[in-house]
Amino acid sequence: MTEQGPKDSVTTLRDLPQGIEPERDLWPQIEARIAGRGVDSAAPAAAGARRRGAPAPLRWLAAAAMVGCVAVGVWIGRSVLPGAAPAPLAPAARPVSGTVQVAWVSDPRYQRAHEALMRSLGAQLAALPPASRAKVMASLATIRQAKQELESALGKDPGNALLQELLVNTYQDEMRVLTDVREASDAGEGI
Amino acid sequence: MTLAQVEHSPIDWEGALVERARAGDTRAFERLYREHTGRVYGLCLRMTREPHTAEDCTQETFINAWRALAQFEIRSSFGTWLHRIAVNVALAKRRKAARDEPVPEVEVEEEAVEPDWTLETPVEVQEIEEAIGTLPEGARDALVLHALYGYSHTEAAQMLGVAEGTCKAQLHRARKLLRQRLNVEVG
Repeated sequence: MTEQGPKDSVTTLRDLPQGIEPERDLWPQIEARIAGRGVDSAAPAAAGARRRGAPAPLRWLAAAAMVGCVAVGVWIGRSVLPGAAPAPLAPAARPVSGTVQVAWVSDPRYQRAHEALMRSLGAQLAALPPASRAKVMASLATIRQAKQELESALGKDPGNALLQELLVNTYQDEMRVLTDVREASDAGEGI
Repeated sequence: MTLAQVEHSPIDWEGALVERARAGDTRAFERLYREHTGRVYGLCLRMTREPHTAEDCTQETFINAWRALAQFEIRSSFGTWLHRIAVNVALAKRRKAARDEPVPEVEVEEEAVEPDWTLETPVEVQEIEEAIGTLPEGARDALVLHALYGYSHTEAAQMLGVAEGTCKAQLHRARKLLRQRLNVEVG
């Protein structure tokens, strides 16, 4: 009954390890049971009301992710990211000067696409209705803050797979929002 | 707001994962599982004392959580919410198993003084885990939730579906038994 790096002896019960890893991975069976089964839809209105009460950064992060998932995930998957799975940290992409770079972020194709989108962002935003513009800018600000916080956290814990994956997701979210803006602007629509 | 502006409030990553899971993203839910499985399994194992039963409880906890995600209050602790589900699952399993072998209720006296669960001398983790494992169910449940996982008497009592006084009494009993079994003072 121990977890990683437990103490051999304790003087208070609070020092006992709270977490104990199961001997086998239980996720595959859980996944099989929940696959094809949506989250309980018995109270969607109540859930929606609670979501409306969520903190603003969280709402925008979720909004940014939702927008991107629906609209341009395929484009990003095909043209920018090397694969759908989370990108592992390449040896050359280990933290440098406190900044964590994920392998595909330094991919020239990603950088070119990102730079092109950023260059045209100002003009595209100007073409959007004010409500859409505000939504996009808030989403991008949240995403950028998220990137900074994740990079900072990864600087302290570079091997944390959860943080790595969240960082990749955040870069993807940013690209999706930028691409949405471009497409909406091209089509003369709001978001 | 300009592009350069960045909000300074910290982002709730767990909340973001819960939001994604609520939208049906099983990968987000898997991340939540990876983050919390150790503490959930640890609780289930201490309550059931049987690794296979604890594994079943853990799986059922996450499956029930997935189904009930819409009911989770985003501002509250996801870990605590999972623990509540885990305790319910473990108690239900225990009740089911006890149908054939009913366990007699044990009278316990209430304790006014709250122990802080320190030991006068260091005790090996394995030894103390084994001693906890030998405690009667009610006393063990209260001890695990309060002394190990840090829940208040009120929270532990709510989770276990007993009166707060009963929970305190069970803790008193747990301390007395631990003192006997470990042969050290439990303060």
